[in-house]
Amino acid sequence: MPNTSLCDEVYFNKFYADHIQSASNFAYYKCSNKNTSLDLAQEAFIKIWENCIKIEVSKAKSYLFTVINNLFLNKVKHEKVVFEYAKSSPYLDTNNESPEYLLEEEEFKEKLKRAIESLTAGEREVFLMNRIDGKKYREIAEMLELSQKAIEKRMSSALKKLKTKIDGI
Amino acid sequence: MEEKNDILKWLNRETSDEELTHLKETKDFKTLEKIAHYSAQIETPEVNVKKALTDLNLKTQNTAKKGKVMQFNFNQLYKYAAAIVVILTSSYFLLFNNDESFKTEFAQTKSFNLPDNSEVVLNANSEISYSKKGWKESRSLTLDGEAFFNVQKGKKFTVNTDIGAVTVLGTQFNVKERDNYFEVKTYEGLVSVAYKDTLIKLPRGAIFKVINGVVDFNNTFDVNEKSWLQKESNFKSTSLRFVLKEIENQFDYIVETKDIDLDVLYSGGFTHTDVNIALQSVTIPLQLSYKIDGKIITIFNYDR
Repeated sequence: MPNTSLCDEVYFNKFYADHIQSASNFAYYKCSNKNTSLDLAQEAFIKIWENCIKIEVSKAKSYLFTVINNLFLNKVKHEKVVFEYAKSSPYLDTNNESPEYLLEEEEFKEKLKRAIESLTAGEREVFLMNRIDGKKYREIAEMLELSQKAIEKRMSSALKKLKTKIDGI
Repeated sequence: MEEKNDILKWLNRETSDEELTHLKETKDFKTLEKIAHYSAQIETPEVNVKKALTDLNLKTQNTAKKGKVMQFNFNQLYKYAAAIVVILTSSYFLLFNNDESFKTEFAQTKSFNLPDNSEVVLNANSEISYSKKGWKESRSLTLDGEAFFNVQKGKKFTVNTDIGAVTVLGTQFNVKERDNYFEVKTYEGLVSVAYKDTLIKLPRGAIFKVINGVVDFNNTFDVNEKSWLQKESNFKSTSLRFVLKEIENQFDYIVETKDIDLDVLYSGGFTHTDVNIALQSVTIPLQLSYKIDGKIITIFNYDR
């Protein structure tokens, strides 16, 4: 029988490796600070390690995100979030290289970025977990200990806001 | 509404190709496609998992691990050692205690057999103790109070009291030892009583009494009248104070007196079954009266 206790170092390390990136991303969606996000995620993992006896393996993932959320609320001063795009990101239409098109797309990206930054934290984290981490609604619901319906609601209100923001500007 | 759900489904990668072509025809789709495409390009800090895990292990070693490892504490060990010693010694005394003791409360008698089958009847408010282990070597016990003994024939049988010791070989006798009162009655055989330096052989029907240090062994009694064993107490020329003490023992009352000469001598007896009859049989011959109030008996002189 495999040892599936969070107190087991091998198991814990695997759990860590599986989730550290999405934990760090989650923290980043909240604070948009590259240094703070990893710290928050690390601290959450330390909490899990310290309380490994008390935490059920099946609950560990949602515990992780809950802790990050709490740490964020307690420690990080609410600042305006500012995101950046990855440097070598392809355009939607990779074949179209006309200067007009590229300019148009850059403009769109700028509008979208600002629109995302203006979303509420709840909408933003759900939207970006879906877009960037490729998580399905059911997975996000599990992580945040919310219903799938609630996630879908946040998702569609995020989409609506983004659309009106982009069209309006 | 329909369209909104389709879009959500599409973002959740649950849309079939057919549905997608249909979705592509809707008017907002171009924007949505761009939103979906470019939002995924927002950069997140990439975690170097190996390095981050090493950092984490360093941190936990400094904090959490310390708390998890219990320091071996010698003070703790002494505590447990002391507890074990206490448990062992107390269980030795509780489980292997060789001292047997029998005790009666007020208004209670108890009869039992000693290891050699000698019978003992313990009167009220009395206690007998002896060593089970030492019984084979010497038949010896300690009495505080009053008891009747029917001793099996054999080696010397000794009853120790604070006032004197009684030694027999095999007989029936009664020993009574109360405060400043010591009495031995022989019902059968010959009883030797050791009191201070004197050793007295007490024949059948004789009483040996020591009251307040004064020895008296010239009295006799009726051997067929085993008074308290038949639920009554009998006295012959005994100070009232001892009679009243016996009433306290037998009935579990407190006896108080008012202007009464406690040294007046009383001859007679009282029953153990009814406190009123008992009090009457003591007070009437002495021209006294009594009153019972709760657990307190007051005895007074009715002349005054």
